[in-house]
Amino acid sequence: MKRSALYRSIAVIALTLTLPVGVFGVCDQSSVSQADSDLWAIHGCWQAFFLWQYQEYNLSSNDWGNRGWNDACNDNLEYPKTWNASYLVTYGLLDNNNQSFHGTTDYRQLAEAPDSDFKDSVYYDATDSTGIFGSFTYHWPGDDEITLSCNLFNANVLNANPASRAGDFMHEGWHGWLTEGNWDNGSAGGHRPCNVNPDGSCTNGACTVNGCDYFYFHGIGAYAFGALYQTDGTANRFHSPNQVQVEFLCDVSDQPQPWVPASVRQVAAADAAQRSAQRFINGPGYTCGSPRPW
Amino acid sequence: MRQDTLVRFAKGAEMDWNRDQLLRSCVVLVAVIGLGWRCLEAQEISRTKSPPKAKVAGILPSPTLLADPNRSPGESVPAFIDWASRSGIGQREEARKIIAEAHSNLGVAQELCRQIIAHQRTDFSRTLIELSVLGEMRNEEGEECLVKFLHQPFPMEGTVVNGEIVEQTTLGELQSKAVDGLAYAGTKSGDREVLWAAGSHPSRIVRAEAINAYLWNHKDSVEARTTLERVVRPDERIFVDRPRYQPTMRSEEFNERLEAYAKEHPAPKPSKRAPGKFTPAQSVGDRPAPETERKPVSQPPQAQQISKEAK
Repeated sequence: MKRSALYRSIAVIALTLTLPVGVFGVCDQSSVSQADSDLWAIHGCWQAFFLWQYQEYNLSSNDWGNRGWNDACNDNLEYPKTWNASYLVTYGLLDNNNQSFHGTTDYRQLAEAPDSDFKDSVYYDATDSTGIFGSFTYHWPGDDEITLSCNLFNANVLNANPASRAGDFMHEGWHGWLTEGNWDNGSAGGHRPCNVNPDGSCTNGACTVNGCDYFYFHGIGAYAFGALYQTDGTANRFHSPNQVQVEFLCDVSDQPQPWVPASVRQVAAADAAQRSAQRFINGPGYTCGSPRPW
Repeated sequence: MRQDTLVRFAKGAEMDWNRDQLLRSCVVLVAVIGLGWRCLEAQEISRTKSPPKAKVAGILPSPTLLADPNRSPGESVPAFIDWASRSGIGQREEARKIIAEAHSNLGVAQELCRQIIAHQRTDFSRTLIELSVLGEMRNEEGEECLVKFLHQPFPMEGTVVNGEIVEQTTLGELQSKAVDGLAYAGTKSGDREVLWAAGSHPSRIVRAEAINAYLWNHKDSVEARTTLERVVRPDERIFVDRPRYQPTMRSEEFNERLEAYAKEHPAPKPSKRAPGKFTPAQSVGDRPAPETERKPVSQPPQAQQISKEAK
């Protein structure tokens, strides 16, 4: 008995030591948010779409192998959650010329991998770090890197929903736009840092986080669909990463396709509202959605 | 002479041989590069520009009653939340009607309150929907629940992103939805809580939404602005002025308001980076630079390893 127990222990230790490290370091793979489930129910795991998506977003089994790459219809896992967000970007917006901030063509070019007027080509990977939501890394030579963290996947976190995840595609993609145009958006991870006050708080103008942007306000219709990448080099025609994210989230909240679930629209409005309230130096951004509870 | 000729001949032959060698090496090198390029091309994933034609497969089932005489609230509430959460923008009025029909149902309000607490730490988006439904009900018991929710203590530590504690932001967004419900209740007690939140809630997110919701529910009246200006923090009076963009609004109206607001809160001219190679800090957004390089080749994803039903 004792000997067999010893053998079993040795076997367990040997197995533990030989397993790939990545097996342990994954996000919460046991749950899915209501918003993800609701959107998932719309397409019911659409194979043709994810076989297009992984190429168009330049995802690889090397980066997503233990995150649902070979289980792409299991919506508890990170890769399926990622392509669920891509589905929202690709099909979920109304493209209302009179009401939308920007169009699907803008958001798709910004999120998808190929080189475009918006940015150099990118690829997407994932990290177990919870110190970020997502990140952008410039590489030369080679594709730039967009990294998505467990904060975009773990159902208990506010951003673990298709709208906020797709909003992160826009945010990180816009870092690519800034890099491509050689724009300086600040030294705190591509944003302006906040300044520590005597009471311990950290602010920069009306911004209360360490990663502030300006809001370069523009009205509806100021940009034709497809022209989001344009700038005249002045504050009249320019965007910051958080601004693009807010505009996308407002379009999901207020100008969605009729089938976009209420849970997705509501989390989009909530995410836009908190960003507008906290992340802009020159005053809070506008609000979208409705203050009516339903 | 003959010896000179022989030496020259030998040198010439050596040069020719060197030239041949060089040429041959060049040809081999070009062939290797060409072959390598072909191999890389073969490995590269072919990209299709257009996504598959849009497909909406799932059909939204018929709505269920929130207050169902044939079912306990323990059954009817989660069933309604499942439906409402998935409903599209076209079903909004239908959902509002069903919620209004449950307005005075104490059991439903209590069950919603119980579910809000149960899901708060596990599913942000479901909790948001439950708070929305409870707020839309305008139920007295529901109002008490929303007040309790609004006063939940703010977590002081947790997961930090950009100096922001994620657990605080999560609770702040949920409490903002609770504030929407209290403002929509249209009661004195509800308004009292909203005004408290507008000035004194520890979260800027909640203070901002309290201002927005109070103004909206009082039709953006001058009196409402005056009331708010008495309670909001001096550095947050800006929230009273900011534009609200609503789906039903004409874009011209929004643009006009936004233009006036933008004049008051201008952004500076964007600046270019100094020329030269990026510093590591300039080459990243939202994180420090990574340490590892990526392998280039990938196999396609697969639909299933473990079927959804078998989970």
